[in-house]
Amino acid sequence: MMGTSSAAPGKGHRSLADQLRSWPDERLVELLRQRPDLATPAPADSSQLASRAATRSSLNRALDLLTRLELSVLDALVALSTSGHTTEPDLVHILDAEPSAVEGACRRLVDLALAWENDAGLRPLTGVPDALGSMSQLHPMTRRTPEEAAVVIAGLSPTARAMLDHVDSGSGEADAGSARHQIAPADAASPAEELLAHRLLVPGRPGLVRVPGEVQIALRGGHTTRDRIDLPPTVATSARAADLVDRAAAGAAFDVVRRVELLVDHWGASPPIALRTGALAVRDLKATADVVHLGDKEAAFLVELAAAAGLVATWPDADGNPAWTPTDAFDDWCDDPVAARWRTLAAAWLATERLPSLVATRDDAGKTRNALDPELTSRIAPETRVMTLGALAELPEGQVIATGTGPASVVSRLTWLRPRRPPSRADQVVAAIDEAAQLGMVALGGLASYSRALLADDDPAPLLTPLLPDEVEEVLVQADLTAVAPGPLTRERARDLHLLADVESRGQATVYRFTASSVRRAFDAGWAAHEVHAFLDAVSRTPVPQPLSYLVDDAARTFGTVRVGHAEAFLRADDETALTELLHHPRAESLGLRRIAPTVLVSSTPLDVLLPRLRELGVSPLVESIDGTVHVARPDRRRARPRPARRTEDARLEARLAQVVTALRAGDRVSQTRTPTMARLTPIGSLAALREAVETGRTVLIGYVDNQGVSTERIVDPVRVDGGWLTARDHRADDVRQFAVHRIRTVNPVDIAP
Amino acid sequence: MNEGPLIVQSDKTLLLEVDHERAGDCRKAIAPFAELERSPEHIHTYRLTPLGLWNARAAGHDAEQVVDTLLEFSRYAVPHALLVDVAETMARYGRLRLEKHPTHGLVLVSTDRPVLEEVLRAKKVAGMIGARLDDDTVAVHPSERGNLKQALLKLGWPAEDFAGYVDGEAHEIELDQTEWSLRAYQKEAAESFWHGGSGVVVLPCGAGKTLVGAAAMAHAKATTLILVTNTVSARQWKDELVRRTSLTPEEIGEYSGSVKEIRPVTIATYQVMTTRRKGVYSHLELLDARDWGLVVYDEVHLLPAPVFRMTADLQARRRLGLTATLVREDGREGDVFSLIGPKRYDAPWKDIEAQGWIAPADCVEVRVTLPASERMAYAVAEPEERYRLASCTHHKIDVVRRLLDQHAGQPTLVIGQYLDQLDEIATALDAATITGATPVKERQRLFDAFRAGEVGLLVVSKVANFSIDLPTAEVAIQVSGSFGSRQEEAQRLGRLLRPKTEGKSAHFYTIVSRDTVDAEFAANRQRFLAEQGYAYSIRDADD
Repeated sequence: MMGTSSAAPGKGHRSLADQLRSWPDERLVELLRQRPDLATPAPADSSQLASRAATRSSLNRALDLLTRLELSVLDALVALSTSGHTTEPDLVHILDAEPSAVEGACRRLVDLALAWENDAGLRPLTGVPDALGSMSQLHPMTRRTPEEAAVVIAGLSPTARAMLDHVDSGSGEADAGSARHQIAPADAASPAEELLAHRLLVPGRPGLVRVPGEVQIALRGGHTTRDRIDLPPTVATSARAADLVDRAAAGAAFDVVRRVELLVDHWGASPPIALRTGALAVRDLKATADVVHLGDKEAAFLVELAAAAGLVATWPDADGNPAWTPTDAFDDWCDDPVAARWRTLAAAWLATERLPSLVATRDDAGKTRNALDPELTSRIAPETRVMTLGALAELPEGQVIATGTGPASVVSRLTWLRPRRPPSRADQVVAAIDEAAQLGMVALGGLASYSRALLADDDPAPLLTPLLPDEVEEVLVQADLTAVAPGPLTRERARDLHLLADVESRGQATVYRFTASSVRRAFDAGWAAHEVHAFLDAVSRTPVPQPLSYLVDDAARTFGTVRVGHAEAFLRADDETALTELLHHPRAESLGLRRIAPTVLVSSTPLDVLLPRLRELGVSPLVESIDGTVHVARPDRRRARPRPARRTEDARLEARLAQVVTALRAGDRVSQTRTPTMARLTPIGSLAALREAVETGRTVLIGYVDNQGVSTERIVDPVRVDGGWLTARDHRADDVRQFAVHRIRTVNPVDIAP
Repeated sequence: MNEGPLIVQSDKTLLLEVDHERAGDCRKAIAPFAELERSPEHIHTYRLTPLGLWNARAAGHDAEQVVDTLLEFSRYAVPHALLVDVAETMARYGRLRLEKHPTHGLVLVSTDRPVLEEVLRAKKVAGMIGARLDDDTVAVHPSERGNLKQALLKLGWPAEDFAGYVDGEAHEIELDQTEWSLRAYQKEAAESFWHGGSGVVVLPCGAGKTLVGAAAMAHAKATTLILVTNTVSARQWKDELVRRTSLTPEEIGEYSGSVKEIRPVTIATYQVMTTRRKGVYSHLELLDARDWGLVVYDEVHLLPAPVFRMTADLQARRRLGLTATLVREDGREGDVFSLIGPKRYDAPWKDIEAQGWIAPADCVEVRVTLPASERMAYAVAEPEERYRLASCTHHKIDVVRRLLDQHAGQPTLVIGQYLDQLDEIATALDAATITGATPVKERQRLFDAFRAGEVGLLVVSKVANFSIDLPTAEVAIQVSGSFGSRQEEAQRLGRLLRPKTEGKSAHFYTIVSRDTVDAEFAANRQRFLAEQGYAYSIRDADD
């Protein structure tokens, strides 16, 4: 956390806006980084920034970032602030945590602009109590200290005490039923009346009574919570050598890169049609799983990974239907070294909001979810992954999460770190661990050293590369007509061998099998027998076995006995001279005629052009019908254009934040030069003024246009501003009223005692 | 980076570099759970299969050992998915156990209730089980012990059989080792079988499987039923048992087409067991004729399907399977596993050869070119006739003759598929033929003469493929085979791979017609040879 704040009284501020104005640039940048929603669109000045920070949606996002400790501190702060001003020592006093932890939490609350410091101490931002909602474990306090409350509680009758405990351990609220509220302790006829008489239960929401904050604290042993709040749950671990983890993970990393390449390459040859939603049909997923030798779930992960990394995208196929097709990025990716390719995949996985783990599960309607279905996303997925791996990264070297209890303990740790995340988060954590293992970031429950580097934004390649199999140039050729490459082959070697032999087994090593047809394939591609021999001699670490040489020669012997060529049309005649005449006709040159047998000519001119030309030449040919199908050459490999990447780059983000802060300062200077009234006459200005009044608890005079269009002036105490409405106590009506903010024309502070 | 000799592929093949200094250790370590698929000169390929892993589980290895072995010897990182799969597969074995219950007899017990529920709901299992005794136990009809095991294996939850065996009728059998002694691996094989209860011992041809059988009988000391492939091999078993054990000829009975004796040790042929009269197996009573303490199956890979069904009813008796290969052409390896038992011992051919027990072989394929007239006849022939036409070309006789000249004085077998061709060759070379039509007595006489060195050349049909010991043969010339069966190749090579006296190497020639289906089938068989590690070369007949 950047910057520290001093909680010392006397250095306080009038409002949050005032405090923000006093902050150094770095601290503002840090705030905007933590709460990026405040920076879009760029706020005009600090008042506007402060008012935006207090909006409900922004508060919710900010509260999502808090740990259980920080939330408890904020909760306590809210409870204390109803009874007056709060200082850090007050908080330390009632929280069950180390003072340093509480202080740290306070600093973070201030840094996140969830609390600010005025002369008397710390204040929560308005809106925080509402936003906390059900997360709050503490009711507002009355003007009594927990110690005083404890004394009262000690004097209770056992039944009343039991009832109080019961209410507190439940929701903290109860229906008082017929119990009389206004009663002296001596007249109490029931435990409920006894509690009400001692103000251990006070009126709360309509019809209900509640346990006031200081009583709750007293009941919980002088603390706001029953348990320590500054101790995050630890992760259950077991010992596993770090180098073993690295090797196992690197194996998976290599594997995932290889399989993604295999998968996308396969899709290049036969792109699967996308369903109407863009998803992949179950049948296509199964076919893909067969290609990569994996189960459906694992294959679905690879498919999602390839899509997240932008290696495939939908693109119209030959019939115009959208099909999942490799992108240009795939070709570039293939040219990268393995470690760089892995990094691309891993980074894409960390950043994607997609949830591959949901594929093949059933939705609420009982329908199976398809891979690449656009709905399988979660906004918090990237955060879950980073935090899950973060929990693993914090383990000391040589420690991995325990096999049975480990994932559950990671879940509870993450729940402590982000208590406001939904319960489905737990499934995501478990899925993240599984996926990280398949991706090779994690193995045997431990984080690989290179993954640690990746998480720290370093290049994992220097750590990963030595763990990957070295590229090999040579293969072992054997008498059973197989060749084994005992490691990944260099690209050229692999290409040549793919041509010359069929792949039988893939993995870190590759097993090739030579067959007559595979050797013939090489001849088709223009190799000569002696070139094949030379290649085999060069590539084989051991002498080439005799049967293989024999196979090559044998294939060469039979190669080319039948010859095939191109022709658009043929001309057949029993009369050889007629053909000769036609062949030598001066106007027949452009027809591209060629004699391939005494009675057969072929032409390179298509039939529909050839026919009229032949008729012009005085030949009246008979057209033979087509027997068989017309083969339409169709491009074998198709490429899609990727959608523009949505990933935000860190450098750009930094620059933007700095820009926002600069603009903010400029805005502040402008608003200083403006007269106060002017500022309050603009809609933004009046909003900021209202918020400031809410923060400071000041009374203001507002110019208001009512429903009838009558302009009036009201003296009000603003309570909150939310969703375009000002809630305030109207002095004239002596009641809380709501005012539409857009109808408020002016806001002016008035100095009257409230 | 670990410089291990093993590469673990994600498709579950293991590649072992044999020239690596730790290759020997690695081979020993992975042999219990990985099946050797091929062993050419540089890199041996093993495969991890569920059966192999369950075999290992049955032998007392656990998943952690397997994973550790893979990690220890692997050159590269081992794919995580594979490790998970190994652990999951191995964990499937033994979740279900067949046990003896004091009151309910045979019961199926599970330590994992969902698994039990799953299998009980399977249709295949439905008729085999009785009442549910409690949450984890269900009664099993004793007669369904074998069928149930078969069905459970198919469901992927192989049951471990703890129901024990009947002792059978005691009968004193001792090995008589005065003039010879059991080789170390034979002893080891017999012992691992005995400790495992039932199961299969895999040894190459010529490695002395009969003696493993004899040693097992000496362990059992009980009446024994031996099932063999044919009569000749039954007689060899008898001779061998009389020679190597305390058994006398009177104690050993032969139960075959010609003789029907039931004695404390009875040797029956598969053929007689599968003979049906009016749709009924007429010799089934042999199985119950005595209270057998041990059933020995010779050449398990040839065990006919009806015998499997009979074996399903023999689950209370100890069963020993002997074979050179677990590979079955019909793919029923799973039935061998569930009905006879898991693999108990295995030694790769090359290892035993290196120990000098079987002769190294030099394999050569000789290609003859068909003359133009025959090529034309071949080209227009019906597909089913083609193979016969191609493999029976007269040119092959010239080649055989030249090879005989080359190996003059060495005992030679000419092996073929087509009787016409064999007769033609025999006439041309003036040699005796042995075919299915040859009377057993005549066969015996010729084999004896060949073994004694009185006859230097025999022309044999496929009757000689199995279990006939011709240890003196030094050269085999194959003129035609049955459509490239891997198993046949193993047998034919086996004729030659018997221990040779002066460490001479054997020669194995295959004559094929170029550019025909004959060559295609030959390619299949050669691949088997090369995969078994025999160096082979191809020559043109004209050279």
